[in-house]
Amino acid sequence: MTERHLPGIGFNEALEQKLAKANWSRREFLARVAAFGAATALTQLLIACGQGGGSPSAGAPTSGPTPEGSTTAEATPTAAPTAVPEPEDELFVLNWDQYIGEETVAKFQDKYGIKVTYDNFADETEQIGKIQRGGNGGGWDIHYPASTWVPTFVTDGLIQKIDHSLIPNLQNLNAAWQSPAYDADNSYSVPNMWWTTGYAWDPRDIPGDLTSWAELWNPARDNQMSMLDDIRECFAAGAFRLGLDPNTKDLGELDRILALLEEQKPLLRDYTATDQIDYMIDEVVQMAHCWSGDWVQMTYTKPRMRYVIPSEGSIKGNDVMVISSGAPHPIAAHLWIDFNLDADISAENTNYIGYMGPNDAALPKIEGYIKDDPRLNPPQEILDQLIELAYLQPADLAQYTDRWNALRA
Amino acid sequence: MTSAAAPAELEGAPATPAAAGARRSGAAATGILVFPGVLWLAVFFLVPLGIMAVVSLGAVDPGGHVTLANPGLGNYGHALDPEFLPALGRSVYYAIVTTALSLAIGYPVAYWISRYGGRHKILLLILVMLPFWTSYLIRTYAWMAILRDNGVINSLLLDVGLIDQPIPMLNTDFSVILGMTYGFLPFAILPLFVSIDRLDFSLVQAARDLYASGRGAFLHVTLPLTMPGLVAAGLLTFIPALGDYVTPDVLGGADTTTVANLIQVIFTAGRDWPYGSALGFLLMGVTLIGTLAALRSLRREVIGMNA
Repeated sequence: MTERHLPGIGFNEALEQKLAKANWSRREFLARVAAFGAATALTQLLIACGQGGGSPSAGAPTSGPTPEGSTTAEATPTAAPTAVPEPEDELFVLNWDQYIGEETVAKFQDKYGIKVTYDNFADETEQIGKIQRGGNGGGWDIHYPASTWVPTFVTDGLIQKIDHSLIPNLQNLNAAWQSPAYDADNSYSVPNMWWTTGYAWDPRDIPGDLTSWAELWNPARDNQMSMLDDIRECFAAGAFRLGLDPNTKDLGELDRILALLEEQKPLLRDYTATDQIDYMIDEVVQMAHCWSGDWVQMTYTKPRMRYVIPSEGSIKGNDVMVISSGAPHPIAAHLWIDFNLDADISAENTNYIGYMGPNDAALPKIEGYIKDDPRLNPPQEILDQLIELAYLQPADLAQYTDRWNALRA
Repeated sequence: MTSAAAPAELEGAPATPAAAGARRSGAAATGILVFPGVLWLAVFFLVPLGIMAVVSLGAVDPGGHVTLANPGLGNYGHALDPEFLPALGRSVYYAIVTTALSLAIGYPVAYWISRYGGRHKILLLILVMLPFWTSYLIRTYAWMAILRDNGVINSLLLDVGLIDQPIPMLNTDFSVILGMTYGFLPFAILPLFVSIDRLDFSLVQAARDLYASGRGAFLHVTLPLTMPGLVAAGLLTFIPALGDYVTPDVLGGADTTTVANLIQVIFTAGRDWPYGSALGFLLMGVTLIGTLAALRSLRREVIGMNA
């Protein structure tokens, strides 16, 4: 117990100092750490602080602790009663299965000595239900919702403001991600991964280069196609086919899209947002409306599978890391976000799951087959054509939901 | 456990007038014993139901919150939109077929366990309940692996040469009904077993002694006497089947949407709790009417016999 306890306190100390004075020298740091007699345990941390530093923090306390005066570990917290971040020794994370680097959790635990409880869920419905549970994030510290949920979660008070001073690695974000439309200045969320929407097909059944959304309406593929079980994505696909705005609120346009989707429904095997990868791998369908990352995972089993961002335009989406308003371990949660924005960790995450992150610093370390594939990392001229799904006011969303239910009923 | 207790209550109910005197003395003690259960139901069933009823009268404000500023029945009008009828019809259809299949399969199984299970009865009943040790979702996904085009059944049929094209079984009404019947069959077997096991088989022997055929004895003695179990089994299958959304979602396809699926969409992606609550109440209303009808038929059956 004591062995675990001491480095913990030493770390608090170190973090505090790091925030107070970003330009600390290693020598000075070592000297102070030595005063606590925890130098060896802190070596790892020291390295971490050394590489992360450089960003000044406004809100941090100016008065550092007095190492000479505090002789016991217990005395330290009382010595600095100001708003000093005390990282907790635990962290609860809820994320998609297989949606993070293979060693990220272990590395975080090793680096900070924080025990991570890492939970998964089956689908977005379950995820959102868990975030909404108790009105404060359901007991988890970190959630990974799609960015479109952020405004709702802010309104509902489910997530808390991000303290940017605790996340120096925010500077690694690409300029385009510094102030996204769904959350100005990343006040409540930090972008995690981004993707495009398109469709995958099996070239053994369907030869040739496909480019158009119209392929998903081809009667020759009766019962051989699946669409995403996602209201907004399906309406967007229809909107692009008709040359309409995928965020349209015009009821006449929505009716036209609905008519198009009604025309398509008899040709579909299923609407699914969870089984599209399996459907393609198991050859249940020949063509599947899907996200770019789904396609990457299809290729792990069947490398022949192809994917296209349709030429009429498509959706660019992303998910975010957020901290629950009721997070039991808010400081550890900030450290988690910072850790995942680290160039190496972010690159490891991308290399494992196949989704591009918004991290410029990580770019040189991302595998070529991901980075150089225009379907996963499209060139700017294609990126410029991609549209983000905008948050819809309840009254507008109801127009979508009603039409969707009429389609599905 | 609860499913086994339910039929006992149903069977006990008609006998209440006769046993009322005997029970009166123990009424106080029973009251104390019943209290935790009543409290549980009040806190975890009635209160949420009340909240749902209130919410169903509200609306969603521009900020996405439920508001009761202008309470009304608008959501119920909205929920009665005839566009939802196909899904409601499908829900009822799946539930009826599932219930019929569960009873048709469950009755012989329960009968066999009761009559011929001997000292292995308990073991056999545990085997019936064994699937509950695994999550229903996982078991449903297992059916996906069995039913899909390159799954166990199609591969076998193709290898044997019985078919040369896989039969599409997944994503159809067939797969949904199969999955639901599989899922709810234990709920039918357990009350049927209780009912059949309590049957005094000397009555059947008496019928045979009086020259009833085997079929006649079953139809005129066994079946009527186990009717309470059949009704209980039917209810325990029909009610969850009507509200099921997991099976149609996982095993179903583009055209197997049930009302429960629509309610789920309204609550989650649609973020419209008042409307979802109203549609939920509507489904509960349908369920309640079905349940009352079944209970009425049960009462007539038993009273008719007693007279």
